[in-house]
Amino acid sequence: MPHERMFAFGEYVAGGATSVLMACAIHAIVAPGWDMALAMLVGGLVGIGVHLVVAMLAGPLLGMFPVMASGSLIGSYGGMIFAMRDSMQAASWGRVAAIAALFGFVAVAAVRLYDRALRSSSIDPGARGGR
Amino acid sequence: MDGTRSKWDRASRTYDRVTWADERRYAAAKESLFRGMRGRCLMLAAGTGNDFPLFPPGLLVSSIDISRAMLERARPRALAYEGGLSLVQMDAHRLGFRDATFDTVLSVSTFCSIPDPVRGLRELYRVLRPEGRLLLFEHVRSRIGPIAMMQDLLTPISRRFGPDLNRDTMANLLRAGFRLVREENVYLDIVKAAEAVRA
Repeated sequence: MPHERMFAFGEYVAGGATSVLMACAIHAIVAPGWDMALAMLVGGLVGIGVHLVVAMLAGPLLGMFPVMASGSLIGSYGGMIFAMRDSMQAASWGRVAAIAALFGFVAVAAVRLYDRALRSSSIDPGARGGR
Repeated sequence: MDGTRSKWDRASRTYDRVTWADERRYAAAKESLFRGMRGRCLMLAAGTGNDFPLFPPGLLVSSIDISRAMLERARPRALAYEGGLSLVQMDAHRLGFRDATFDTVLSVSTFCSIPDPVRGLRELYRVLRPEGRLLLFEHVRSRIGPIAMMQDLLTPISRRFGPDLNRDTMANLLRAGFRLVREENVYLDIVKAAEAVRA
């Protein structure tokens, strides 16, 4: 498999794993009835923690920044969103994992799309005092 | 500076494994940047010499690194280069070269690690010929909020083992007196290839 495809596949796996681990950890901590603000704070912190662990393991295999970029979004925003959900409604473990995996894949796809957009756009050196 | 040297001596043991994916991801972008190397060249931070196979053949390159352990690992790759490639242990803050010595200065992931980046860049300005080119392949602080926040949070940790993650190298270039002529995103707005000249 060419490296580019292998890395793309790996990014989706790492993003899905980050999201599922993060959502399951939050589901184990946050229960319906929690204050939503507190739940979101806890969720964000748990998400960032899970992201850091996955990034340390997957970074050397997939590249530090690609793992960190999508993982930081999944961990911080995803952590808050999943904690908000868990504070409001009960959900089965299967549903938690399935929705989290979907969230992770969508986040990775969004980051990859944004990367393409940034790469294809030209940067004006004049904006930094160049040329 | 001894702290920096010993940090990179330690890092040399795992450097190739930790950067395995990055070397493959960015090889094409680096190769494209390196095509701009001309005449007598200086490469900062040789590391383990991973970038040497991507150099155009036939150049005369002096490559420096603060870490002797890194240079020892780079030696076989330097010997395999089809051109002249010498390795020298040197601190980028105090380059042992005369003014206006080089036609091209190349920096690959260096200014994320140099303790005083503007001072280091001023040294490059000094050793670069007036019509010379500075080629950079660097990672910088993102402007995407959560990613930048993560880079800021992780830098106190990453600095202990390797580079800072949140440097603004493009702004530092201008502070050192360079003028940017080209800047390209290689990965998001974090990994960049750039070309600068003396202002």
